[in-house]
Amino acid sequence: MQPIPRIAAATAATTALALLLSACGSGGEEQTSAKDKQTLTVWGMGEEGKHLAKIGKEFTKKHPNITVKVTPVGWDVVHQKLTAAVAAGELPDMAQMGSTMLGEFIELDALEPVDEKTFKKDDFFPAAWNGGVKDGKAYGVPWYVDTRALYYRTDLAEKAGVDKPPATWKDQMDLAKAYKDKAKTKWGTYNQPANVGAWQTWLPFLYSAGGDLLDSSGKPDLDSPESVKALEEYAAYFDQGLSRKSSPPDYDVVKDFGTGDAPMFISGPWIVQNIQDQQPQLKGKYATAPLPAGESSTSWVGGASLVSFKDSEHKAAAKEFTKYLTETKQQAAWYEMAKSLPANESAFDEPQLKNAPEQLDAFEKQLKTAKTVPPLAKWEEFSGKIDEGVARVSQKGESPKKAAAWMQKATEGLVD
Amino acid sequence: MATTTPSRRGVPDRTSKVRSGAGAGTGTGRRRGPGLRRDRLSVQNGPGWLFSTPFLVLFLTFMAVPIIATFLMSFTEFELRNVADPFSAEFIGLENYTRLFEDEKFLTSLFNTFYFVVLGVPLTVGAGLFAAVLLNRGVGRMRTVFRVGFYAPVVTSIVAVAVVWRFVLDPADGLISGLASEVGLKSPDFLGSNVLAMPSLIVMAVWRNLGTAMVLFLAGLQGIPTEVREAARLDGAGIWQEFRSITVPLLRPTMLYVSVMTTIGFLNVFEEPFVMTEGGPDNSTLTVSLDMYKEGFSYFHMGYASSMAYVLFTIILAVTLLQLRLLKDKTK
Repeated sequence: MQPIPRIAAATAATTALALLLSACGSGGEEQTSAKDKQTLTVWGMGEEGKHLAKIGKEFTKKHPNITVKVTPVGWDVVHQKLTAAVAAGELPDMAQMGSTMLGEFIELDALEPVDEKTFKKDDFFPAAWNGGVKDGKAYGVPWYVDTRALYYRTDLAEKAGVDKPPATWKDQMDLAKAYKDKAKTKWGTYNQPANVGAWQTWLPFLYSAGGDLLDSSGKPDLDSPESVKALEEYAAYFDQGLSRKSSPPDYDVVKDFGTGDAPMFISGPWIVQNIQDQQPQLKGKYATAPLPAGESSTSWVGGASLVSFKDSEHKAAAKEFTKYLTETKQQAAWYEMAKSLPANESAFDEPQLKNAPEQLDAFEKQLKTAKTVPPLAKWEEFSGKIDEGVARVSQKGESPKKAAAWMQKATEGLVD
Repeated sequence: MATTTPSRRGVPDRTSKVRSGAGAGTGTGRRRGPGLRRDRLSVQNGPGWLFSTPFLVLFLTFMAVPIIATFLMSFTEFELRNVADPFSAEFIGLENYTRLFEDEKFLTSLFNTFYFVVLGVPLTVGAGLFAAVLLNRGVGRMRTVFRVGFYAPVVTSIVAVAVVWRFVLDPADGLISGLASEVGLKSPDFLGSNVLAMPSLIVMAVWRNLGTAMVLFLAGLQGIPTEVREAARLDGAGIWQEFRSITVPLLRPTMLYVSVMTTIGFLNVFEEPFVMTEGGPDNSTLTVSLDMYKEGFSYFHMGYASSMAYVLFTIILAVTLLQLRLLKDKTK
């Protein structure tokens, strides 16, 4: 229990820093032309940050006057680091930014609008592009995308007497039951029951039920009949003991997928690589499928965009680098390197993507119809309320209707 | 919790005499009598100030300024957008505080924190005392081994501890469920149950912190003069009587120190729920500090989180004063 003083001190130190440094945060008035000799500072997240450094070197070979300096920042701390950097006026020139964080930094007025003549909306998956659009202006160029689809164990499905992927909610429920009853697995599926990020597995249910996060006037729409239906469907798995009701904060479903304890779950494309690395014995024993349909089979788009900051003095160079990163060839090469899906649609016709593992097909298909998570300034909090709403039905046993009403009330004040 | 040297109250008189002499520094100014303020800054006191500068600078920068800043912040609506320009935060008076007491989540966290303290502190102090008494006389050669064993959790990283405890508590293939299935029982999902999650964390916290209490009690026990014990034994006191009438009363100062420090630490409980449950299931392990952390760092309601911090501070202050009163050393 020692760290409380530390946390208090950290809070305090951040604040003090903010107070001290806010005075010296100055805007970059002097713009450097793309042809001058300069260093471009870029923040990349997690694994991508490491790969980005390599691409930066290649970029410098073509543009010898621009040195790209990449700082990899962990996904778990990036939010705090960026906000602290905004406060201190110490932002890099550009950064990779998770799709759900865009809204917050648009609100903070830290991002430079995208030059929509250079970067064409039509080149990218519409949902990915729209994730960075606020009041008709785009603030991020989609770099890579991800979406959620269904993973399931084909070997165990066979044992349970099911030989095709679940296409509807009912199929999915039947498969979960068959896994548990006939294939004798511990659980039938894994729906994240609570904690940070539970919204990520619930949102596909909401979108597939035909629901939405916000209504047409921009107010939360979480108590709609569709939302209640999505919660009901989600909760049914807990009620029937088909999904675990609690999981530790750093629970890794891939492990339970490997043992067969959780033979089905909804997640993103990076899992294909994780399974290959961590559970190689699963090769040929699992498949992916588009989300089973409620009203429709609709997922949501995540991923990351490239943003440049208002205060940067190297906007021209940042534009060059962004251009380099988002062109077709580089996007396909990026897939090879980092195994994340290109945001530029044309890259899917490149050989690297054509030869990708078949498990990725479902994601490509899903991306075509996937919906945006609207950029909200208070997304962290908004999603936190969804996490809690989900926990209310999964753990507290509250009725979906009541939980939906609660979510609606809790999120009402969080949109402008 | 503080793992530093116990205060003078906790150790026998002999050392305390030595120590008070050693605390020279600025103390010399005091001896020359109060009165002239200028005196304190005079040339003779220069070295004293010089030596304390590193501490003072660090203290002022990282403790005093933030303490004042958060206090002021607690009366404003300090949000993410104010980070760049702190003075633009809107002053809202006591609104944060009134909102707190209508905030269902905060009240839950308050309840959970008290639950944690009320069960956790007596258990920790009791277990620490028990271990200390045993170690002080019961075990001979293995003493060091036991001391290290009990103290190790205190200095082990919480992350490592959490990994181990997850293995212990895991309902599927944990240690407890393994033992339970040996005898044909089924173990519950400790961290997944609203009812059992908190007690599980309390047990873990007791195990983690009893080392500190034990070390302090050991120091206290060694300060009890052997003559007193011998006299008691000559008078025919049994083990229990000796414990009740000699050990406990003479340990009172240590007891006070240990329970005050443990209570403060437990009221601040953060790590255990943070790494084990994230406050779940259904907020049943959400503590004030964790709630504060979430409000402050995940949602950037710095003003609101600051007001939580001050409510917690007030509670800690009140509880500490109460303890100082109740456990006052009446033998002097």
